[in-house]
Amino acid sequence: MFLSNTVIGRPGDFAKDRTDPAREYHWPESLQYVPDWVYTSPEIYQREIERIFQGRTWNFVALEAEIPKPGDYKRSFVGPTPVVVSRAEDGSVHVFENRCAHRGAEFCRAPRGNAKEFICPYHQWSYDLKGNLQGVPFKRGIKKEGGGMPRDFKNEEHGLTKLNVATLHGVVFASFSADMEPIEDYLSPEILKDFEAVFKGRKLRILGYYRNELPGNWKLYHENLKDPYHATLLHSFLVTFGLMVAGSKNAMIADASGRHGTMASAKPESVEGVVDDASKKEMRAYREDLKLADGRFLNYVREFDSPWSVTMQTIWPNLIVQRELNTLGIRHIVPNGPHSMIMLWTMFGYEGDSEEMTRHRLRQGNLMGPSGFLGLEDNEAIKFVQEGVRRSPSQRGVLKLGGDREGTTTSLIDEAAIRAMYRHYREAMGF
Amino acid sequence: MAWHEVAEALSLGDEEALGVRVAEREIALCRSRGELYALDNICTHQFAVLSEGYVEDGCIECPLHQGRFSLATGAPLAPPVTEPVRVYPVRTEAGKVYVDLPD
Amino acid sequence: MYPGYDMPAADARETRELRLEIEEFHAAYCWTLDRGALEEWPEYFTDDAVYRITARENADAGLEVGLVYADSKAMIRDRAFAIQHTQMYAPRYLQHFVTNVRVLEARGDTIKAQSNYLLLQTLVDGPTTIHQSGRYYDTFMRERGRLLLKERQCIYDTVLIANDLVFPV
Repeated sequence: MFLSNTVIGRPGDFAKDRTDPAREYHWPESLQYVPDWVYTSPEIYQREIERIFQGRTWNFVALEAEIPKPGDYKRSFVGPTPVVVSRAEDGSVHVFENRCAHRGAEFCRAPRGNAKEFICPYHQWSYDLKGNLQGVPFKRGIKKEGGGMPRDFKNEEHGLTKLNVATLHGVVFASFSADMEPIEDYLSPEILKDFEAVFKGRKLRILGYYRNELPGNWKLYHENLKDPYHATLLHSFLVTFGLMVAGSKNAMIADASGRHGTMASAKPESVEGVVDDASKKEMRAYREDLKLADGRFLNYVREFDSPWSVTMQTIWPNLIVQRELNTLGIRHIVPNGPHSMIMLWTMFGYEGDSEEMTRHRLRQGNLMGPSGFLGLEDNEAIKFVQEGVRRSPSQRGVLKLGGDREGTTTSLIDEAAIRAMYRHYREAMGF
Repeated sequence: MAWHEVAEALSLGDEEALGVRVAEREIALCRSRGELYALDNICTHQFAVLSEGYVEDGCIECPLHQGRFSLATGAPLAPPVTEPVRVYPVRTEAGKVYVDLPD
Repeated sequence: MYPGYDMPAADARETRELRLEIEEFHAAYCWTLDRGALEEWPEYFTDDAVYRITARENADAGLEVGLVYADSKAMIRDRAFAIQHTQMYAPRYLQHFVTNVRVLEARGDTIKAQSNYLLLQTLVDGPTTIHQSGRYYDTFMRERGRLLLKERQCIYDTVLIANDLVFPV
């Protein structure tokens, strides 16, 4: 797939991103340094796919609201592996590899739909909605010609590879591991709290989709949302229009394992905020004379059981839950080699939203997404990091904000959550 | 409905099927457990030819995806078939076999 | 196909002048965007204009989300402002091409038309690429002799976007 037309040098052109089975990987000293090879090495990427995405993790695959009726299905991904998420006749949700058990064809081509069964177009092998092999054409051969499957061929042994499935408050997760803790435990109490504020007791209404390819390593996106430091420095829109001012209540919450996080902030009561002179000097873009022509879309309608007006959750390894005021969505990360990731966005509201509320969410959606007032800049910054890291002989990045502590902080000027994530990463990967 | 003679039925062995065209219809003639049956020859699932399939114990199995129908009633018995196939009355009289088909 | 624009094209001979006028509109609009003169961009719209950029998969399924979603000229102004004064993005050249103009309906001062658009983008040290390919579903109003957009739905086929879309189309 394309790497967003990355400039100068295809993957493999640089020593840092060449495959070298003899190479040994050592983490330099402490968690205050991140070695470049985590972003560039094809071997490390392959190990991540095996140990993380195909390991003991719960991976987002769908929202139940996308497959409400029996027979509904959608294409999805666990790591880079294509899967199908399907709702069977009895209402249960199933996830299986999008790979025919016969010769391996990726049989489900439409992004979503409704079906009674899945039939691979190549040889018409048919599977039921749970992924069981139903029909093999000419299984007994053709009369007078012979052929067919051996007598001991059992359909049960040749079904699609099924994944372990967990559903929580309308969000569907899958795992290649049969031995997984319950999804609530996987999320941890701290993360579950803000997850429930968005999903618990709600019926979602899908508003639509975005898809983009970010030319950067998948972990850079997790880091970006565990990096409160950049908020007021990169996103001058936030400061210019008083959405986030140094001094409003914030937290960067990490779970005990370090792999999940919630970046949270509480909007000051008025749109313009209350900014003291010292803070104004720090913030790059604060301008008192600047006001939006139509600032309604920045209003916050209180509809959540939470002290926060914004929670951006990173749920390891592939899910972001976005609650930015009243614009809600999930982002599904699909790793695409060490230098690229695909991001699949699903924006939603709630059943029962008034026409006006829906319109408010759609307007507020301008903040996020691949053209978002905020979203766009993260995509650009991630691209810059990947390009810089790949092509320079320097070997590592620096994570020293906040010293060496790891975990939850209330200061924005801290990289403790990123260090916590890499502690988990090192354990999971064997460094 | 009208009765049509089907001479081919006389030579049909047990647990066998044969496709014939009678009164402009594609029919599967089957003999199972000594009894004769007639049904539409096109599977209701993916339009395969049923007479190419397997007759066993009063059922016919479609060769394409192994869906099964009852020969007596045409009812779907095993997935992936869900829609019944139409069956027609068969009568043997004075050594001749007749099938009752719509006009 | 987009709801409200699914009528067959109007008679080409009767709407030839109008088509030329719309093509001239497109050329001016593209030149504004190509040279980054975003402060001019809102002036192509009526005060109550609706402007949305969204993927074909959303339009086909009747889903309302927009990559860009504006339902007033004020929101269009705010986007122009945000891009010019607050957004951080790598420098780039843009070229917008609009072709295949079909006048669908002309009723007094309200004109509906459909066109194809293509956006080519060149990043620093990079090749020129097809960044977005889509279709405009436009409703023009004639106000004081000028054509203005009352509605522009930009429905793109390039569902998988190369990183981001910085400028409007």
